[in-house]
Amino acid sequence: MKAMWALLAAFCLVGAVARADEAAPKVITLDDGDQLGRVSAEQTEIDDGPYKRQVVFYRTNYSPGTIVISTKERFLYLVLGNHRALRYGIGVGRQGFQWSGMVTITRKTAWPDWTPPPEMIKRQPYLPRFMAGGPGNPLGARALYLGATVYRIHGTNAPETIGTAVSSGCFRLVNGDVVDLFDRTPIGTKVVIRQAPEL
Amino acid sequence: MSLGLGGSKPAAPAPDVSAAPAPYSVDRFVGAWGVASYRLDKDRPRTEAAARAQCKLPYVIKRGPTDGVIMHVADDSTPHELGLKAGDDGKVYLGFAGPPGDTQDRVVNFVSDREFIARYVDPDTNTRYGTMVYVRCGKA
Repeated sequence: MKAMWALLAAFCLVGAVARADEAAPKVITLDDGDQLGRVSAEQTEIDDGPYKRQVVFYRTNYSPGTIVISTKERFLYLVLGNHRALRYGIGVGRQGFQWSGMVTITRKTAWPDWTPPPEMIKRQPYLPRFMAGGPGNPLGARALYLGATVYRIHGTNAPETIGTAVSSGCFRLVNGDVVDLFDRTPIGTKVVIRQAPEL
Repeated sequence: MSLGLGGSKPAAPAPDVSAAPAPYSVDRFVGAWGVASYRLDKDRPRTEAAARAQCKLPYVIKRGPTDGVIMHVADDSTPHELGLKAGDDGKVYLGFAGPPGDTQDRVVNFVSDREFIARYVDPDTNTRYGTMVYVRCGKA
């Protein structure tokens, strides 16, 4: 069974990702922990605490403009240079849905469409099977597509999930942050996904 | 005023007979449907196409025991029997027995043999779910 999941994971990631830690679903069109019945404005931001968007000291050899995602820290760093980075709080994949690798941003979308998975439809049969982008959409205000994978950096309509591990492998930011990152990040940007913090 | 389908509960009352009859029968809604939603009119064509593509996971609407249809309302996983109600404003509503235009109602914007479009009356619910497109599954 584990081998089958590994095969599916390999299929989904199209060879662009170094490895998935345990398993990955065949299709990741949304995160199962997401809820449709929520609205989060494009301006939603975190006002305080570690997950507030902020410039931090960050020692790295990656060139300015590179995105480094630290899954265990629940932070996304946009490298600024001079040992500084713009740090965003993120939500990450739940146990078994975390992965690492190096990809590039291949596509950017404002207010992306959303497709609930069958198991979510089973629990909430009143959901539309497809939802065009908008404020009630769990993928939030923006999406940045990671390489040829099914994973994305995207917004959320559930800001309280930042700092948690609830997704199916995507990385979520509050809408205000994902809009900020979207505007700073051109297609082709290198994205490094790490599972363990650097010492 | 929900019309729950609990097994041992007494039969639910019919949709409010005091509401004016709708210009068409609830039979128009019976069947299997691909369902999708949109918020901006420009997204309607591609949402209709998306709904059509969702027939692999159809939403099935059956006729209810009291001349309504068995459907869900927003944020409630329990199916209910809903009826059609004609409003004084000329609009057709789909919802529980009671005055047309209740906050739990949907207003039906468009009906054809192959498709119907409805949105929730409640502004907040409408914002969250958008306008729902139902495209009939099966041969045209």
